[in-house]
Amino acid sequence: MSCDDLRDSYELYALGVLEEPESGEIRAHLERGCPACQSGVRGARQSMALLGATAPPMPPPARLGLRVRAAVAGGRGIRWSWAPAWAAVATAAVVAALVFHAREQHAADELARAQAHSAAHTRELARLNRALDILNQPDARQVVFGAGPQPPRGRVFLDSRRGVLLLASNLPPAPAGKAYEMWVIPKGGKPLPAGMFQAATDWTAMHVLPGPVDLTGAGAVAVTLERESGVPQPTSQPVILAAL
Amino acid sequence: MMLLPLLLAIEIGEGDPGLALRLQRREPQAMAELYDRYGRLVYSLIVRIVRDSAIAEDLVQETFLRVWNRVHGFDAGKGALGPWLLAVARNRAIDYLRSAGSRLRNALELEETEHPASFADFEKDIFRADRVARVKAALAKLSANQRTVIELAYFEGLSQTEMAERTGQPLGTIKTWVRTALKSLRDELGTVAPA
Repeated sequence: MSCDDLRDSYELYALGVLEEPESGEIRAHLERGCPACQSGVRGARQSMALLGATAPPMPPPARLGLRVRAAVAGGRGIRWSWAPAWAAVATAAVVAALVFHAREQHAADELARAQAHSAAHTRELARLNRALDILNQPDARQVVFGAGPQPPRGRVFLDSRRGVLLLASNLPPAPAGKAYEMWVIPKGGKPLPAGMFQAATDWTAMHVLPGPVDLTGAGAVAVTLERESGVPQPTSQPVILAAL
Repeated sequence: MMLLPLLLAIEIGEGDPGLALRLQRREPQAMAELYDRYGRLVYSLIVRIVRDSAIAEDLVQETFLRVWNRVHGFDAGKGALGPWLLAVARNRAIDYLRSAGSRLRNALELEETEHPASFADFEKDIFRADRVARVKAALAKLSANQRTVIELAYFEGLSQTEMAERTGQPLGTIKTWVRTALKSLRDELGTVAPA
């Protein structure tokens, strides 16, 4: 497709709601380095960011800032800007106030931890539901990989409407700063990134690429070890290769 | 204008490049400043999408943690922290909506929209009050149908096919509304996309 053909799709692409085949076409076009379309998509991303700023302003609760700070501090503590003032406190009244504050803070931290725990459970449930949704498809294709005793072994389930599910065992946890990246590889084409995942400490892994996937012409599903943020194309040899 | 103090606050103090560098050096205080600068904007957007303040709080925390964990891939010299944060926030919220509604779609597109490298070479001070006001004015000029589809795309992450299912309109009609709405926005905002 030409730049003119793709121009109307910049914003939808920037929003992540453009459907195939247009999405793949504009992605491939951008990867070829077309400056006009790269500039156009950048402009669309800016406009879409501004759309986000039109949301009605809502003041966040004060505890939310504490939650974010606590989450990032990871228990190492933060040098609060008002900490030096605390050091100057010498009166019993202020000490009492500090004790009260500490209790309140402790309660807020506990609440934050419980909420984060609950949110994590909700997400995990959603992930399992996606996996079950693929497994429940009578027409889902199943491919076994890693027949030997040493390499990672497991199965890949593929359903063009529901997505791709990878179940693996004997897969070591990725080193620090690294993660596993799944790829759907078309026959004779470039691998398409299919999401990042980590292996569990028991060397098992479950990864779901949810949603419709174009499996016509797909030749393999592979997994490589990449940097944690992901890469657009594999940079290492596959640790899992499931030929379709 | 209620948003003005927030937008003015964003203008003041250290710019995004310096803050991004400190985030990359893993300074927790930098994250506190990032939250002070953009927390309200992020929270407002997520509440608009999920319409539940308790869930929004969880998602705001997730958003800032995600940025903290991925900031090493951000170009501190060229990148725009605010737009990146909003993209991550929108994706977290839409991902929640999809999970809650068992609405499954390819997550790859969402992942792509928040890649740190996608936020390089943005114009400075993108969230200036006058810019946001122009976008609001441009949205107000759209017809009700056009505004609806833009909101469904941005705030709910619906594809055009999903919009057709949601609204009961033919897909062709939805596509027409989307295209005309986007063209109208481009015309109003001027330099959104090159000719």
